Amino acid sequence: MKLDKYSGLDSPVHRWDPRLKLVGLMALALSFAFVTELWLLPAMLAVSFALCSVARLPFSFLAGRLRYPGIFIFILAVILPFLSGETVLLQLGPLALREEGSLEMLMVVGRFTAIVTIAVVLFGTAPILTNIKAMRALGLPELLADMTLFSYRYIEEIGSDLARMRRAVRLRGFRAVRLNRRNLSVLASLVGSLLVRSYERSERVYQAMVLRGYGQLRSHSHGFQATARDVAALSAVLLVAAGFVAAEVL
Amino acid sequence: MPASVAIAGFATTGAMAWYSLRKIEQDDDPRAVIPKASMFTAAFFVASWVNIPVPPVSVHLILNGLMGVILGWYAFPAILIGLFFQAVMFGHGGLTTLGVNATMMGVPAILAYYVFRLRGAPGLRAMGERGSRALTGVFAFLGGALGLGLAALILFVLLIGTVPSSLDGATERAAITGLVIAHIPLAVVEGAFTALVVLYLLRVKPALLEAPLKKRPGEAKLAGGR
Repeated sequence: MKLDKYSGLDSPVHRWDPRLKLVGLMALALSFAFVTELWLLPAMLAVSFALCSVARLPFSFLAGRLRYPGIFIFILAVILPFLSGETVLLQLGPLALREEGSLEMLMVVGRFTAIVTIAVVLFGTAPILTNIKAMRALGLPELLADMTLFSYRYIEEIGSDLARMRRAVRLRGFRAVRLNRRNLSVLASLVGSLLVRSYERSERVYQAMVLRGYGQLRSHSHGFQATARDVAALSAVLLVAAGFVAAEVL
Repeated sequence: MPASVAIAGFATTGAMAWYSLRKIEQDDDPRAVIPKASMFTAAFFVASWVNIPVPPVSVHLILNGLMGVILGWYAFPAILIGLFFQAVMFGHGGLTTLGVNATMMGVPAILAYYVFRLRGAPGLRAMGERGSRALTGVFAFLGGALGLGLAALILFVLLIGTVPSSLDGATERAAITGLVIAHIPLAVVEGAFTALVVLYLLRVKPALLEAPLKKRPGEAKLAGGR
């Protein structure tokens, strides 16, 4: 997976106990969501970029992760300055660039960048399986954890099933360019047979798993061990998060 | 999105997840169902990549109504997991908004499930084979359309109610109404698609519509229990 590309690097963030990392960085991201004061924005961006560089994640990786969701934020960022607020900064014919909207736009874009950066650091510095195990160790219900692990395992496989079926449909001359009953029903059959295939595959997988002893009681030793340094790092990050919330509230 | 909304989203999602897990635990053997439920989770995740032409653009379906119709209470964990993967692997949607998104799509999915179950209501049973087929289609349509329509409504109320703080009330209401009306065609497409998929399954693999996740009598029993 693309996201796991840099999970093998060695950095203080990579060495941080995944459980504590999860708690610390989620708290930090949530505290960023609290911020609405403009003067906190540079601090927020500085903290998140600092984390990213401590984690040795290349900037191009971060930029790649920011691009796609950035499109939606960009649309909002283009609309807001014109719709929201009363103080007109600049009049362009019927369009008025408004101060409140522009400031809101800066805030939305900045906060978004900071939060995504934190998420990239969190999930880019450990394989996703490690993070799911960490969540289970933190008390994620077992059913959810198991379902997450299994579906992660099969997404790519079912994805290539879909790609193959789409290619087959195209070879038979199917082009979905118009919305009509026939096209919709072809696509529905495509999805339907994807579901049937997955269902049948899951039955085979399940039987194979039972043969290998699935369902026996397992002991869950997660094998994570927090050192004093890990705990210190968590305290520091939580302190920063609390600092942002405090600065916002006071 | 303000933090209060994000936190409220996590709270409702937590409560919904807890409740649906409890519903699931009532089944005879949840561990036996995990592989199937996960495979469906992955399949729906992939199925939402199929784009439907709605000229001049093409749209991705959400399929939350269909998930509810087929998975029942498993739809909620499935949607939560799908959104989690979307947030971490593809960067669609954020981590802090995960709770809000899961509620926005998951709650309508559960409602769609109950709507679809109405097809078996006592008054509607006596309609014969053809009639029951048509009914299945109609209720699947309603489930699918409701799934998307409700999710869109929740989204717009949240978006407009929270983001640009300085819009006035009348503009807000007008914007919400406008956006919801713009989404009616999409809800119809989603509903039609759901109905077509359900009718396809009824033809090809009816077992999938009759509680696909329940264990059937002949199936292997787990050694050791859970």
